[in-house]
Amino acid sequence: MDRAKIKRELENLAAEGLPAEPPQEETPVEVQTEAEGEDKAKPKAKKDEDVPRKNGLIETEYAKRGTHLDVQINPDQVVKAAEILDAEGMTLEMVTGVDWLKEGQLEVIYDYSYPGGQLFRVVVRARLDRNNPDIPTVCHLYGGANWHERETWEMLGINFVGHPQLEHFLLPEDADFYPLRKDFKP
Amino acid sequence: MGTESLPTIESAIPSALLQFHQLDQLRMLARANSLWPLTFGLACCAIEMLSSGCARFDLSRFGAEVFRPSPRQSDVMIVAGTINKKMLPAVKILYDQMPEPKWVIAMGNCAISGGPFAYPGQYNVVEGADTFLPVDVYIPGCPPRPEALIEGLLELEEKITGNRRWPRVKPETMVKG
Amino acid sequence: MSSLAQSQLRETFELNIGPQHPATHGVLRIKVVMDGEYIDRAEPILGYIHRMHEKMGENRTWNQFWPNMGRLDYLSAMAYNHCYAGLMERAAGIEVPERAEYIRVITAELNRIQSHLLGFGAYIMDLGGFTPLMYAMDEREQILDLLESVTGSRLTYCYFRFGGVYNDIDDDFITGTRAFLKRFRPQIPMYHKLVTGNAILMDRLIGVGPISADMCRKYGATGPVLRGSGVNYDIRRNEPYSVYPELDFDIPVYKECDSMARYMVRMDEMVQSCRIIENALNKLPEGPVMAEKVPKALKPPKGDYHYAVEAARGTFSMRTVSDGTNTSYRMRLRSPTYSNVSLFEEASRGMLLSDALAFLGSLDPVIPEMDR
Repeated sequence: MDRAKIKRELENLAAEGLPAEPPQEETPVEVQTEAEGEDKAKPKAKKDEDVPRKNGLIETEYAKRGTHLDVQINPDQVVKAAEILDAEGMTLEMVTGVDWLKEGQLEVIYDYSYPGGQLFRVVVRARLDRNNPDIPTVCHLYGGANWHERETWEMLGINFVGHPQLEHFLLPEDADFYPLRKDFKP
Repeated sequence: MGTESLPTIESAIPSALLQFHQLDQLRMLARANSLWPLTFGLACCAIEMLSSGCARFDLSRFGAEVFRPSPRQSDVMIVAGTINKKMLPAVKILYDQMPEPKWVIAMGNCAISGGPFAYPGQYNVVEGADTFLPVDVYIPGCPPRPEALIEGLLELEEKITGNRRWPRVKPETMVKG
Repeated sequence: MSSLAQSQLRETFELNIGPQHPATHGVLRIKVVMDGEYIDRAEPILGYIHRMHEKMGENRTWNQFWPNMGRLDYLSAMAYNHCYAGLMERAAGIEVPERAEYIRVITAELNRIQSHLLGFGAYIMDLGGFTPLMYAMDEREQILDLLESVTGSRLTYCYFRFGGVYNDIDDDFITGTRAFLKRFRPQIPMYHKLVTGNAILMDRLIGVGPISADMCRKYGATGPVLRGSGVNYDIRRNEPYSVYPELDFDIPVYKECDSMARYMVRMDEMVQSCRIIENALNKLPEGPVMAEKVPKALKPPKGDYHYAVEAARGTFSMRTVSDGTNTSYRMRLRSPTYSNVSLFEEASRGMLLSDALAFLGSLDPVIPEMDR
């Protein structure tokens, strides 16, 4: 496992997925805040925290977060990310889905760790549109992803495209709800 | 041929002539002293059920140690754990497969009421075995101690025979630990 | 694979194992497609004890979630307590007194021995030997007595708190633990003499259920399953938490990759746990067992946090997404047997049915922990 290589490749991957528009959109916003003065800049900055994070790689502090690298990419890039990490001998520990109801998004979080000795944990996350939650599967790379993805589909309704067996798993066969969605009412 | 035309035993033989009361009592005594539970562990309580069958608690002192893996050979079902909606049909089938006479013990809070997993708005847990099974004895605890399970079985014996085989320990005489 | 299974002219039939079956350690169901005596495809079906732990994490406060940690894997509940405590201490930035950390390690290791003892007894019972279970349960009851004296419960512990443990251990516990170690140590060679050397057991375990290290990696298998495949990976060493770096112990690793290797890893781990406990008891410092000024209503800052511990069955890790309130926005529990059993389908292909059950037992599943 080569930490620097993983970091470099994931960084490149995240940069590839960045849409070209945001920098252009951002400049007028900045001009506006400068024009309006410093008083309004403070609430603006607070608002920025609520805005979903942009794609990219962050080096997180292990003692505070429990992970070393945190990378957000486009949904269609998760297979590429899995290939990069698989080639370096990382293992997929779990797949988590999060429902961001306010933003109208669903998030898939992949936790990778290294079983070879060194301590290295990588988080790969991707945000999906809540109305169209399609993401490619990584089952063909990691057999263990099968059950995790199946559970995430069942609990949150995230559709893993290419998954061999997207059937009910933990819930009864006739369940027609996604219990971990925030708007779920029994 | 309709089933109504067949004379039932009760109507054909006057009850004053044949009485099985003594025999019934004897049979019930035998049943109460050799309860065969179904090996049917659902969750945490199953481990305490296992503990009570093993060294130290030794359920065989009370004749109830013959855990049968098949419902057809057992006569008491100890519901040890949480029943959820996926498991519910299986529990029903197991109960139906047991031969009469049969009894049910609800062991632990999950089997009594859903326990810690029952809350408004939950989606998967059946709130109590008595919603679909005729429960004879309830044993509270999360999980109940093996002593509690033994006491539950003694209660069941009392229910079957009408009197208690072992003296009941009064709370005030118990040794405080 | 048998020559029969490879031929084109074959007839298969379906066999349903469970959900109520004594060899599946609970309510696991396996749908097996059989080709004679050989398994064509064995698909585990879960969910018969799904208890909504992840949903419950979202609708109660951080403190109210404590009891759930004892009910996930009821056999090694201390490790789960440890993970949750560690997770929230990482999130809220709470410093834990050293004595509390030592107590945590002592109780968690006692719990690990207890878990492996039951695993040992139940596994041999699956294979047809009843007596070892009685021996194992006898030892186990003594551990339960010790743990009960400090935690108040026999199985579903809720002993740890954010910033420490619920109450201090007393001299009775320490002398009792030392006496137990003295009594338990010679028992393990006796088990080996009684059970491990048995010709029938060796025939049933050696070479059965081979899992390569790479397969473990692909499926995320951890714990004794991974260490039985020759990979020296243990969270206690590789991702040190609590006071494990200060303690003296080895990680047992076997290279055989079969059921026997996994069985031996568990047996050796009990010896190592004894070492850890003794070591920790010798080093046990004086001082408080709770951190000062832990807020009653915990509100960790926004963001997500991850924490992993080595439970008796492998890596248990938690990921929580906090939105800055006193409840979790998303609580994800990664249980070790979930990943360990997920390789069953691939590994059991072409196996004899009786071997498959011996193999399943060597993965040592606890079903409520898989289903969560």
